[in-house]
Amino acid sequence: MEDESCDEGFTLSNSELENRFHQIIGSIEDILIGEDVEFSNLQLHFLEKYWMEFEDVDENKFIYMDIFQEYTQSIEALLENKLAACIPDFDMHQFISDLMSRKEELDGEVFEMLFTLTDFNEFKEMFLDYRARKEGRVQDLSQSIFITSFK
Amino acid sequence: MGFLTVLKKTKQKEKEMRLLMLYPLSNWYGEDINEISPTLGFNIKTLEHRGFKLNIWDVGGQKSLRSYWRNYFESTDGLIWVVDSADKRRLEDCARELHELLQEERLAGATLLVFANKQDIEGALTPEDIKNVSEKATKVKLNKQSKFQVLLNEVSN
Repeated sequence: MEDESCDEGFTLSNSELENRFHQIIGSIEDILIGEDVEFSNLQLHFLEKYWMEFEDVDENKFIYMDIFQEYTQSIEALLENKLAACIPDFDMHQFISDLMSRKEELDGEVFEMLFTLTDFNEFKEMFLDYRARKEGRVQDLSQSIFITSFK
Repeated sequence: MGFLTVLKKTKQKEKEMRLLMLYPLSNWYGEDINEISPTLGFNIKTLEHRGFKLNIWDVGGQKSLRSYWRNYFESTDGLIWVVDSADKRRLEDCARELHELLQEERLAGATLLVFANKQDIEGALTPEDIKNVSEKATKVKLNKQSKFQVLLNEVSN
């Protein structure tokens, strides 16, 4: 308290932590929606492997939950590996505790996306949409446009 | 615990609760408990009540699949333990099962509701009986008609 330089030191390390946190968030954003296709490949892999299991009824099969667990764990592993590769000394535990102390800040698009990834209902919806597309049940609007010559 | 789980917990909306409904020992007589039929499943119902959004996960009514329940413990705010009040014979087994369940680390912090189901059946155990047996086995003090219970009673009506 009596030593002002002490306060300064504290502020500095605080902003360093701040920068680091935002750097990690930026990297997650790149992994999820950047040019890197690994994440979308992972999603596609799951959709291709399991879409036939999913049926559009209220009752969920127990296997959905197994697939869901496998899915979230794979995403976590991918994020963790990618972050470790692009951020020197990346520490997941540190990052997790930073996340918890910043509840109010977790509002951006990237958090919405991460949140969606952990939501079972969204997950089921994604598979049902994929199935509908696979089975051609989604109306292709381009087929509904008719061009006729005006006479 | 993975980082997505932590994020989910942190970001979970205040006015939202996840409740897990479990039915102990309710396998049909004569059927093999270890056999998992592919037609069995779980349901998720969402209810709005007093400004709260309740996501109720109803996991299988037919069989006791403890190894399967584990998949559902994460992010559970409340556990609804549905006891068959007419099944006197297995009340103690049921209470023991509850005791084991409460050892689960992932359920720490979740509110427990013991629901005395099938009260309309003649000769059913009273809620008091079920409370006493459950308390003895679990060493957990249960309050009759806690606020949470009243809330859920209303929701389930």
